[in-house]
This record gives sequence, C-alpha cells and structure tokens, in this order.
Amino acid sequence: MKAFAWVEPEDLRSAVAAGAQPGALYKAGGVDVQDRLKEHIDEPRQLVNLRRLKELDFLREEGGGLRIGPLVTLARLAEDPAVRKAAPALAQAAEAAATPQVRNLATLGGNLAQRPRCWYFRKEEFHCRRKGGEECFAIDGQNEMHAVFDNQTCAIVHPSATATALCAAGARLRLRGPKGERTVAIEDFFVRPEKDVTRENVLGPGELIVEVQVEPAPRSAYVKLMEKQSFDWPLAEAAVALTDRGARVWMGAAAPVPWRAAGAEKMLATQRLDPALAEAAGNAAVEGATPLGQNGYKVPLLAVAVRRAILAAGGLT
Amino acid sequence: MSDETKLSRRGFVKGAGLAASAAMLIEGVAEGAAAAKDRKQGPGPVDVTLDVNGENRRVAVEPRATLVSVLRDQLGLTGTKVGCDRAACGACTVMLGDLPVPSCSTFVLDAVGQRITTIEGLAQGERLAPIQAAFVAHDALQCGFCTPGMVMSCHALLQKNAHPTEQEVRQAVSGNLCRCGTYPKVFEAALAAAGTGATPIAPAQGDLPPRDAGKSQEEAPAGGDRKLQVGVSGALSAKERKVPEGEPRPWDGSAQLRVVGQKVPRIEGPEKVTGRARYCFDVQLPRMLHAVLVRSPHAHARIKSVDVSAAEKMPGVMASYVLERILGPAELRLKPKSKEKYPRVRYEGQPVAAVAALTLAQAEDAARAVRVAYEVLPHAADIDEAQKEGAPLVFEGPTEQPSTAGGGGATKGLPQKGNVRGPNVTERGGDVEQALASSAVVHEAVYRTEVQTHSAIETHGVVADWRDDGVTLYESTQGIHSVQDEIATLFDLPKSKVHVVCEFTGGGFGAKFGAGNHGVVALHLSRKAKRPVRLFLDRRSEHVSVGNRPSSIQRLRLGASKDGELVAISLKALGSAGCAAGAGCAGPAKNLYPAKVLRTEESDVFLHAGPAAAFRAPGHPQGAFGLESAMDELAEKLGLDPLALRDKNDPHPARREERRIGAERIGWKDLRGREDKGSVKRGVGFAQGLWYNFDGAPSSAEVLVHDDGSVECRSGVADIGGGIRTACAQVVAEVLGIRPEEVRVRIGDTAFPQGPPSGGSMTTQMLTPAVRLAAERAKARLDGAQDVRAAAKKLGRTVRGYGERARDYGNWNDGDRFSATIGGAQFAEVEVDTETGIVRVLRVVAVHDCGRPVNRLALESQINGGVIQGISYALHERRILDLATGRMVNADLEHYRIAGSKDVPRIDPILIEHYLGRSNTDVSGIGEPATVPTCAAVANAVAHATGVRLRTLPMTPARVLAALKGARS
Repeated sequence: MKAFAWVEPEDLRSAVAAGAQPGALYKAGGVDVQDRLKEHIDEPRQLVNLRRLKELDFLREEGGGLRIGPLVTLARLAEDPAVRKAAPALAQAAEAAATPQVRNLATLGGNLAQRPRCWYFRKEEFHCRRKGGEECFAIDGQNEMHAVFDNQTCAIVHPSATATALCAAGARLRLRGPKGERTVAIEDFFVRPEKDVTRENVLGPGELIVEVQVEPAPRSAYVKLMEKQSFDWPLAEAAVALTDRGARVWMGAAAPVPWRAAGAEKMLATQRLDPALAEAAGNAAVEGATPLGQNGYKVPLLAVAVRRAILAAGGLT
Repeated sequence: MSDETKLSRRGFVKGAGLAASAAMLIEGVAEGAAAAKDRKQGPGPVDVTLDVNGENRRVAVEPRATLVSVLRDQLGLTGTKVGCDRAACGACTVMLGDLPVPSCSTFVLDAVGQRITTIEGLAQGERLAPIQAAFVAHDALQCGFCTPGMVMSCHALLQKNAHPTEQEVRQAVSGNLCRCGTYPKVFEAALAAAGTGATPIAPAQGDLPPRDAGKSQEEAPAGGDRKLQVGVSGALSAKERKVPEGEPRPWDGSAQLRVVGQKVPRIEGPEKVTGRARYCFDVQLPRMLHAVLVRSPHAHARIKSVDVSAAEKMPGVMASYVLERILGPAELRLKPKSKEKYPRVRYEGQPVAAVAALTLAQAEDAARAVRVAYEVLPHAADIDEAQKEGAPLVFEGPTEQPSTAGGGGATKGLPQKGNVRGPNVTERGGDVEQALASSAVVHEAVYRTEVQTHSAIETHGVVADWRDDGVTLYESTQGIHSVQDEIATLFDLPKSKVHVVCEFTGGGFGAKFGAGNHGVVALHLSRKAKRPVRLFLDRRSEHVSVGNRPSSIQRLRLGASKDGELVAISLKALGSAGCAAGAGCAGPAKNLYPAKVLRTEESDVFLHAGPAAAFRAPGHPQGAFGLESAMDELAEKLGLDPLALRDKNDPHPARREERRIGAERIGWKDLRGREDKGSVKRGVGFAQGLWYNFDGAPSSAEVLVHDDGSVECRSGVADIGGGIRTACAQVVAEVLGIRPEEVRVRIGDTAFPQGPPSGGSMTTQMLTPAVRLAAERAKARLDGAQDVRAAAKKLGRTVRGYGERARDYGNWNDGDRFSATIGGAQFAEVEVDTETGIVRVLRVVAVHDCGRPVNRLALESQINGGVIQGISYALHERRILDLATGRMVNADLEHYRIAGSKDVPRIDPILIEHYLGRSNTDVSGIGEPATVPTCAAVANAVAHATGVRLRTLPMTPARVLAALKGARS
C-alpha cells in the first residue's frame, strides 16, 4: 500500500473538515480500507481516522426503535439485546457477515459504505467502469457472484448485509458533511450505476454517516444463502419486515444496490400470510430478473431466500 | 532491527520532535485526555507505544503499517502468522482488549492504547494456558501454522464463555482456516479446555503403557529368508520374505510393541501452540532484506524490456534482479532457434523481476517502480478452445516435464500436437473395444473436475543467505534435499556449500519441492546485496504460480458381465496442468479393479495458466471421482448394491475389510433405504481409493546416546504436519526402552543424514526403518544394555548409530498388483437442499490401512484432514480464470472457497492394520490415501440423496440446481 498521512481528528467537526480535503479517505474499522489500499484501488494522501470519535459510538433505544452510531461494530450489533428485539433482521445480518474476527473490527458505518467485492473491481489490472474505465468485465466475464437485477451498466452486487436488513427495517441515515447535516431514507442512500457508476452511495466529499435510525421492526428476519457455511459471501440474501403498515421485502447479493421486491410486498400487503403466499411472494420478488451468463442460479436462490425470510419474520418456521 | 534499518528510518523521519509529540497525542486520545487539535502523522514513521502482552514497547511505525507487520518485523513476535493478508484466514488473529481481531487488517495505529495479546502472551513462563495444553493433548494441530490464530480464537471464546457448546466453538473458529483440516480435534481441545485450570507444560503422555509393559523384542540381527506374519490384522498368515543382511528382526504382524502404535501427542506440540516453532516464514537474520517479485499481469507475452533503474533509486532498495529462466513449466524438447532475451511469459503472475529493500513496504513500493514492456500475445485459457486448430500455442514444439523430488513430471517422449501432449497409453489384456462390445452391460459417461490450488497457509518462501564460503537457505519445503539439489545445479555449487534448513513447514501438500523461482531469485538478490534476503509469496502469487491440481475430463466406459464382473475399462482423459504437463488421472482406473481388458489414454492440454505441481495423491482424487462415480452408476444398471459390485471386483484384502467395517459403522443398509419427503434430501455414498508404497528415495537417520544419557535422533526430513518427529521418537523409544518425550528429534537440516522427501506418503514408511536401524545399532554399541542411558554415562562417551532404509526387502510385493497397495474406503452422508442446491456433508466414516500404525493420534488427524480437503474439493474448490485475460479472479481465500469449521462433518477415522512385510517397521503411508476417495463418496451420496448424478466437481449450488432441473425436465 502507498504511504499516507494519518489524521486523528479531535472531534466530528474537524473530522469532516479533514475528510473534505482532496485525497482524504475516511476509515472506521479499517478492514475494507486495508484491502483497497493493499490492492491499490485507493491511494489516499491522508487517512482520516474516525475510530476514536466517541460521539459516533453509541447504541440506544428510542421510541421502540434504535439510534445507532456508525462506529458500533458488527459483533455488538449481532449480540445487543436491544437490536435483537427491535430489529432482529439487522442482528442476524450482522451475525452472518464476514468472520468473528472481522466483526470485532468492522463497523456499521463502514459496512454500509464499503466498496464492492466484485473480483474485477478488486484487481488493479482491471480498469473497470466503476474505476472510471470503459468496460464492465463481469457482464461478459466470470459473473457467477454478480447481479441479476440492474446489471446492464455494472454488474456488482452491493456487499453490505446490514444494508439489506436496514432497508427492510426502514432505516434513515443522518449524514454530516461540510455543508451540514441531512437525513436520507436508507433506500435513497444507495446509487444505481445508471446514475453514477463510480460510487455506491450519495456521500459527498467529507460527508459521513453520523447516525442510523431504525424504526422498530420486531417482526423482521434476514436470510443468507451461502455455498460454504463458514465465512462466505452470500449467493442470495433477503430481509423482510412485517409491520402494521405492510411488509418490506429487500434482497441482497441481487443488484448493485439493495433491491426492493415490490411485487412481493404488494402480495403480502393484501393477503393472509401462509406458506403458499410466502412462496408466491418469493417468486414475485424475482420477476424481471435479467441474469447474466453464469448467475441464473441466483434467481431461484433469491426467491427461496425471500420466502424463507418472510416465513421467519412471520414466525412460521 | 538491524542498524541499517534504524538509520534509514531516521532518514525518513522529518523531525524527531514531531514524531514524539504525535505518539503522545495518540496515547493521550486513548486515555480520553486529548487536549491537542487533530494532528497529522506520517507518512513517515511515528513513535508509538504498544501494550503487548503486558509490556510497553516503544516502536517507530509508518501509519500504513499493519499491526501484524509491526509485531513480527519490528518486535520479533513471530508467533502470529500471516496467511492471506486480507482478514480471510485468521492466521494473524491476536486479541485487542478481549476481542480477537485480524492483525493483518488492523492498522497498528488503531492498536495504540489497547491491550494487545499475542500467542506469545498466553503461556505463563513454561506453563501452557489450558487451551494450549488441550491443543497439544488432543492433537489439535498438524503443520501448526494456523495454530496460533486458532488458539487465540479459542482462548478468546473461553474468556467470554467458559463452557461453550461445540456449535459455539465452531462459530468462534469460523474465521480460522486450517488447510491440514484439523478442525475436529480443535473442537475436542476447546471443549476439553473449558473450565480447566492451568496445566503445566507436561511431557507428552498419551496412552502409553508403563515403561516395563510389553516384552522387548529379541534384537538379534536377521538376514536371509524369514517367515513373517503378514496380511490384515486378525487374518495374518506366514509368508516368506527375504530380509537383507544386517537388518534387525522385522516388526511383523505378530510383533508386540510398547510405544509404536499408541496415541502419542506430538512432541513438538508445545512449540507449535506457543508460537515458538520457527517456520521459515519466521526466520529473521541480522541485516536481512525483504524482497518482492514483479509479476506479469498478462497470461501470454513477450517481454521487450525490463527497466529497474527507477526502482533501484527508491528508498531502502539494495538490489534488483531480472529473471533469466522460469522453473515449473514444461520445457521445449528442442532449444528454440531464436532465443528471446527474457523468458516468455506463459501465465499471469509469472515472475519477471524482483527487488530487495530494507523493509517489506519499501520493497513493495520499489517493485511497483520496475518498468516492464510487454508485447501481449493471444492466450489460451479454456481447455476446449485450446484444443482447436489455430488456438494460441503455449509451446511452439514438443515438450518434456522435469519431475521434482515430490513426484510430478510427465512421461517422456510423448507426441504433441498443438496444445495437446499425448496420449500416454496403457493397455492390458487385449482389445478394449471388442471387450466392451461383448460386455453384457456397458456404462459410459464423462466426468469433469476443475483446478484446485494447494493453498497452504504458509505460502512458498525462503530466507536466502549467500556467503562466499557457502550459501544457506531457510526454505519452506517438503524436501530440503531437493532444494539443495536444485540450488547446487543452478548456481553450479558443490552440495557441500549448499546448506538448507526447514524446521517446520506450514503445509505443502505436494507443491513445496525444489528451490522454486522465489528461492533462486532470493539467492541471486542475496549474492548481489551481500545480505540475507527474505522472499515470501503473497496469497495471490501462491494461487497462480506455485502449483495446482490439474483439471480433468474423463470419458469412462466400463463393461461388465451380467452378474457384475468387470470385463473392460476404457478411459480417455484430458486434463490441463496449465503450462506444465502431468495432468494424468488414470491411476485408479489402472490399479483399483483388475478388469480383464484395460486401455487408458491420458493427454495434457496446455493453457496459459500457472503450472501444476504434485498435489496430495496426484491424479487420484480426480481419477477416483470418475471411476467410483462410474462404478456406482454401473451398479445401478446391474441392479447391484454399490458395495456388492466392489466386493465382486476388488481383490484388495484390506479394502474388503474396510468396506465391511465402514458399512456397519455408518449404517449403510438403513441409510440406503431411507427416503426423504421434504425438499432437504439425505443420502449416503461410498467410494474407495488406492495409493502406492513408493520405494525409491534414500532415507537415513542417526541416533545418538550422549555421554550424559540424553538421546537424540537426527534426520534431514521436513515436518509438514504428519508428525514425523513424534514417529521417530516413538521408534527410538521402542528400541531403547525409553519414553518418546525423552528423545530429542532434530530434523529439517541438510547437515543431518539425508531423510526422505515429505511427500508421496513416504515420510513415515521410509524413515522409521532407518531410525529403527540407527537405534538398534546405537543400542548394540552399548552391548544391548537394558538401560542405555545409564550405560552411555558409564561408558563416558557418546554412542552413535546410523541407519539407512534397506531398499531390497524381498518379495513383499508378491500379491498381485492390485492387493499390495494402500487401500482406503470412505462412506459419506450428505444433506442436499434441493431448493438451493446447497450440499452439506453430515458425516464421514473413513476406514484406512497404513501398514503398521505408528502414532494413532496423528493418523486420525491426517485422516480427518484428508477427508476435509476432499470435501472441500468435492463442493467448493476451483480456480476461476477470466477467459478474456487468463487471470485468476479468485486468487484469494475469500472467493477461493476452502471448507471451514462449520463445513466439517462428524468424521469417524478408523484404522485397520495391513502388514506386507516390506520393511523392518512395516509402515505404509496415510497422507494421500486419506483424501483420495472422499470427493467420490460425497458425489455418490449426493446422487443417492437426490436421484440425480452430478458428473462435475465441485458440486456447487449452481450445478446441483442445474442437474435437478435437468432431471425434472
């Protein structure tokens, strides 16, 4: 990795100022940043360390929901009783991510803002569209781990498991940048390739997540399907929350952003939940999929993941 | 740290004052007493204090430094390893506070102000922590390279949860990869350690009977023809064997032994669980430089120029080297007419040049400054395309593949057309087409396997030290003598001036023989820089450039009579060993079942991809997958039980017994009859394999009984995790009437008598006869004293016995070629989720023979490991090449999937004894046999579970779903 300067900001305000400098890169847990620096995907001039900012490390219940600081680790999310109660899907997603060691370092903010694991993106030799190049090497290349929706420009899948869960839970993100604060619904946080292929989210220079607000979603569940049962990336994932206002059904490992299964939501909104409906909703979730050469198998897997997540959220398993 | 390093660091630091205040700032923040504004540190070194194992260590670090690099390279704490450098394998696990973290992916500055506990911090002086003692007692380690990380993860779990369940242990180590497959014993050890108090570092006790138990053998030297008890234990019979002159009385099937055959915890266990074991990866010499290779990003290219001038001017750079030849690929039979200035690039990742600098980071920076101009050429990356006319040629003419000490190589003089070399034809018993035509039942199918990479957690590497009076290489290898041979040849040095040392090898699996390109390069750099040079590959290089198991496409035809007698076997196999030859896989077809007529054709297809190397039973797992799948399919056609078909056709006496024992243990009859209604289907499958008792390499040892009564055994063999030290100690202890832990075993040094290569399942079978002979001779020099140690003291001088393994034991191979091999029979129970295609192996019963078992504990570990590697091969492992560029896209431990703790089934390793009367210890090997049948057993179980046959490995969810879909439509 290329040498860089390390900035230890005193507080959030100075972190934002430092992060807005050209050539600056934020790091929290630093796991994904390490990978990118080692692969020369990023070569920052200065790394702004957020990890010691106590004001970003909090987790509290509020009105049945949660307020989570971006520095809360995945390990804590997985174990915290408040999270398990208010948003089981989030706890399950955190628990299923990465390895036990990584979960002790990796933070919620970092997990949401991590960059894709696409094996072309991760190799310096492939100057792909997401890195400003001309081509997506996956679309006609090795794409078994790639997107089955929204995959015509760039076929990455969004790597964040907690993103899928938070979309289902209906989270909002409080962001702070040089121009001040804003709050966005989590589904508006992610950027589709058609809009800007070089980024996965709306964070501008110096902007960072300062709080994740989670509505109570006690009837929620997350399902991850893996080839291997110890440390593997998902072949398909789904998170479902059943609320008084209807169902929220999201898929991960499906598209460059967390992918809403609107068809499934519609079915769940109007009919009584039973295994047959869950199966129909699973099938509806994958309608319109556009699989590539090698990832057609993911379509039925996503349908199964959705069905199982619905059943789990509804207490029917 | 060397003086030079210190100097250069000072050169970096812009002002000592800045560095000091920066360090204070970080500490201040950690204590919650920050007063200063945010400060920028680096990019040069920053002075910090780290709290490591309860000690404050001041050290100057670059902000980009990882915690593990500082622990190892600057603080000398080499117990913590690096396997992938990407937080995927857990070898680097340390604790920050109470939490295990991957220190390869932790910035060292993040660790400032936190309690850091490394493997070195667990033991209290000589007292092992309970988890460490349990790891030793339960043999929860093989090569031991992943062990420190595994111990840390277990330790962290036990700190938090004193009484974990097995599921919790599996979860806790799910981020720790063990390529030897030691998981079952890790689970045992962690559960045993739960709640126990501190255990002193105790000598290995095992299940040894007391010293005076059992009757000592009569040790009169034997010679000439003798009647030995041979055969499968329980059904021994007397057979005549010609025993060479000067050999001790053979330990045949009737021998009553005291120590050999017991369960003995490894004598080096304490070193491995404390991080004290010094792998070559850990060797740090004064003034040592770090080297990094420059690699081709192209699969096929002509190198036009290499410019190292900018790199040489980079900070800390002391030497550079441009490669003149490449070891590993096949070689043109005839020298090409027009010689190219640089070696042709034939695979992505082929080394082109290297630089050596004071630190690894400097070397990495400099390697990026080397300018290489390539003329990129069209490449062949797909085995089907590469066979077509007009495909880009990997070699312009016919080739040969030199072999290594660990096997590999390819049959000489085969024809070559385009990228296809072969066929290598074997024929027996007549015309196979006629035999097939006249067979009552014929089964024909094509079976495919993909490329598997060895993926030892310790990558290939070396510390090379060129001195004018002789060179020393600390090379991670399975055969120190093969490194010595290669270096002596390539550098035109007498062997007397080539010293090779390897105390511990962090896994090899067949890929670590010879010096390798890295060894040659490091030695050149050392010669140039006049300093020791350390060069270890990164994970990506390990995947692409130092070996793999070739792919295979096997067209098999089996002809049988109506009642199931095999009449004909025909195999046409193609495979690719990349830019090397040696993809044959006909071993099982040729040697498992004596069909009347046999014809096998094996061809290599060259690709622009990394060269293959011997890999745990070369050719056999893939060959067994084809043949044993086909046998099951044939059984179905014949309406026979798969075991009945084997019973009819397999003359191997041990395997017959193994099938019987295994079928009973797993409950074959019940499980075969089972039907599942739901979408999750269970099934049980069987497969068997064979391996060979190689007889070739020299093997010698010496045993010293010192004048103070201490006992030492020495041999130039490598410990790759099979437990050879302990086996040697057991044999010496047996002969001398002492305990194994009273024998100091020193290995891994060419200064010792030449040991066998640690490959080919040869290590224990070849070395124990030499060790026994050496011990017998030492004892004889003490007039056969009951208490040899007292006798040596009394004598007042050190007594030495030297032994070489006799290579002319007579007529042991007097059975037919099918029955004097090593067997092995495995049963697998699987669960297939037919909705997702995800396969889980629930249970494996593995019944094996290895002649005389020496250390039953280590043997169980090796069987577990073979099974786990086989499961991983069956379900997950494959090299994925981007066809457009020929680059491997999953050259990591994240998308190159290796079975982990939660993928491991319950395994029942069962040993039977099978004596052949082939050496004075009558030991056979286990390392390879244990992995041969697993993938086929799993495939047969999947077929039984689903009713659908998968003829391609690995059986990924995509393939399982496609097969199920194909069966429905």
